[in-house]
Amino acid sequence: MEPIDIGLIVSGAMLLLVVLGMRVAFAAGMAGLVGLVWIFWAKFGYAPDQFMKALTVSVKVSGQVPHSKISHQALSLIPIFILIGYLAYYAGLTKALFEAAKRWVGWLPGGMAVATVFATAGFAAVSGASVATSAVFARIAIPEMLKVGYDKRFAAGVVAAGGTLASLIPPSAILVIYAIIVEQDVGMLLLAGFIPGVVSALIYGVLIVILALTIPNFGPPVGGYTWGERFKSLPPAAPIAFVVLIIVFFIYNPFGGDAWGTPTEGGALGAFVVFCMAVYKGMRWGQLKDALLESAKLAVMIFTIIWGVLIYVRFLGFAQLPDAFSTWITGLEQSPMLTLVFILLAYGVLGMFMDAIGMLLLTLPVVFPAVMALNGGEFVSAADSAFGMSGPMCAIWFGILVVKMAEFCLITPPIGLNCFVVAGVRDDLTVQDVFVGVTPFFIADGITIATLVAFPAIVLWLPSLAV
Amino acid sequence: MSGAANILEDDSRLSRLDRALYRLEGQMALISGLAIFSLVILAVVSVGGRNLMNAPLPGYVDWIEQVMPLIAFVGVAYTQRSGGHIRMDILVGKLRGRALWGAEFITTLAMFILVILLIWGTYSHFLRSFDFNAPLWSRDSSIDISIPLWPAKLLAPVAFSVLGFRIMIQLWGYGRAFVLGLSEPVAVPLVMSAAAQAAEEAEHVTGLDDKEAR
Repeated sequence: MEPIDIGLIVSGAMLLLVVLGMRVAFAAGMAGLVGLVWIFWAKFGYAPDQFMKALTVSVKVSGQVPHSKISHQALSLIPIFILIGYLAYYAGLTKALFEAAKRWVGWLPGGMAVATVFATAGFAAVSGASVATSAVFARIAIPEMLKVGYDKRFAAGVVAAGGTLASLIPPSAILVIYAIIVEQDVGMLLLAGFIPGVVSALIYGVLIVILALTIPNFGPPVGGYTWGERFKSLPPAAPIAFVVLIIVFFIYNPFGGDAWGTPTEGGALGAFVVFCMAVYKGMRWGQLKDALLESAKLAVMIFTIIWGVLIYVRFLGFAQLPDAFSTWITGLEQSPMLTLVFILLAYGVLGMFMDAIGMLLLTLPVVFPAVMALNGGEFVSAADSAFGMSGPMCAIWFGILVVKMAEFCLITPPIGLNCFVVAGVRDDLTVQDVFVGVTPFFIADGITIATLVAFPAIVLWLPSLAV
Repeated sequence: MSGAANILEDDSRLSRLDRALYRLEGQMALISGLAIFSLVILAVVSVGGRNLMNAPLPGYVDWIEQVMPLIAFVGVAYTQRSGGHIRMDILVGKLRGRALWGAEFITTLAMFILVILLIWGTYSHFLRSFDFNAPLWSRDSSIDISIPLWPAKLLAPVAFSVLGFRIMIQLWGYGRAFVLGLSEPVAVPLVMSAAAQAAEEAEHVTGLDDKEAR
């Protein structure tokens, strides 16, 4: 049997295990290890006395992966970003942010909903966890929106959709994961997420204003704040801006000169500021311990998938499956752009059933090389490429697109998790209500993704400055 | 997809074993959490030292690389106990009774086999850098300030061994549930509905001012 056949069979078996409910990290690791044994044993001609040798070699190859792949400086951003998220809840940032947003943009048509979107976007950015952000804002923002007369389904939709803005604005753990798995510069990806994240939030905001202007009795503006009151609302919410900006400045210095440090340092300093804020707000050891345990749990989960998938990737390399997939996809007789759109749509479908991290890690080892090949290869120049951008830039652009797709799936039926969460927090809402309420944002996200595909410059402008 | 679960307890030997191991796992996970916090402190010292005192922290990157295995491996059994390793539960979530416990048993058994093999593999990775006759017992060291690498490499097989015990307990739990046809077995993570997960999630992220608001 050819290595490629072994690759296909083992990958199929892995998907079966995942569907059967095996933990993704271990299903990937198992597939990798079994696949390696199979490939080595095949090389030894399936001689029965050679099986142990094949097993020993495979176990030793796999055994190197966890330590050697995890002891990596760039990966330290993931636990730091997660910790920022948990500490942010104790730093009193949720209400501060909502209050500031309300005073600054409440006067717009549909102002309370716009304020909710911006507050959720800001908070989601530091918390990094879309689902948790929706849970928290369901409690804070929905009651206030209902008080001024919004439709409760729409109010729920705003919160569910706002939570998805987390993954692009730095600090974003999922962009770090993407960068690691496709071996690209972490800093560049974090930088690239900033403008698309802000654009997504603005598109949500514009959509709400349009809805408020066209639908009668939609929800009144909330005005009457003086400039003094507005400025007073800023300091309590300032740590959010600080965290986002310090991470950006530690990657790229907009005032010219060198960046201030490494992304790792920037993230850690951000965490330190949020930590100080939380202590000031009354966080004690018991709560810090809870935050540390929860951060550890989430970090371990992510790292376990990373090394599990990397064992699988080691096997994929031997099986030459990524090469074969790239060859097939570049051989298709249609425009590369159409192929890319199909790939993104496939992610949209897959994301309806799978968690974003699991989905990206399992598929990227095969899909990413194919996308690079579509563009003309890893080292192609912008002039010779299919998408009009160099290899590294294509890697960044594709990363932002798939992550946006993955977040999009958090609000799509049948299992858009954010919608379940909002419905779970509010007794008066069913999941169907939230799915109805979130529909306009669903359309907005479609527009955003199309915009990012059509105008890659939105994604690539900031990273191109920092090169 | 889910990454959370609840675990029932009673007075049986299995449940007592589960809780005893859970205490150890909890301590290990806290070490993992403190290691994350140490990254923050390291960076503050490094950036502060460089900018304020013109004295960068020697071996900053080396230290981060030593801390990473602490974060990544030490809490692995704790995460397994609490059902934190994500999986697709769209199918198993539909199963009930023996079919459910049978499916859980099979996937957990596959996991057990993998973990045993990985203990072997990671231990031999450790052995390659460990040598009683070498300075600091070490055949290799970090690039900048020459920290021996074997302690960090040893963490993987140690953490995976604890995970192995955890999986044995879960296999026992699923096996018992399968044989006896239990509906709510102890010591194994039970599949939660999306709403229950949401409530759990929200519990951990309730900030101080939300509590005041309620």
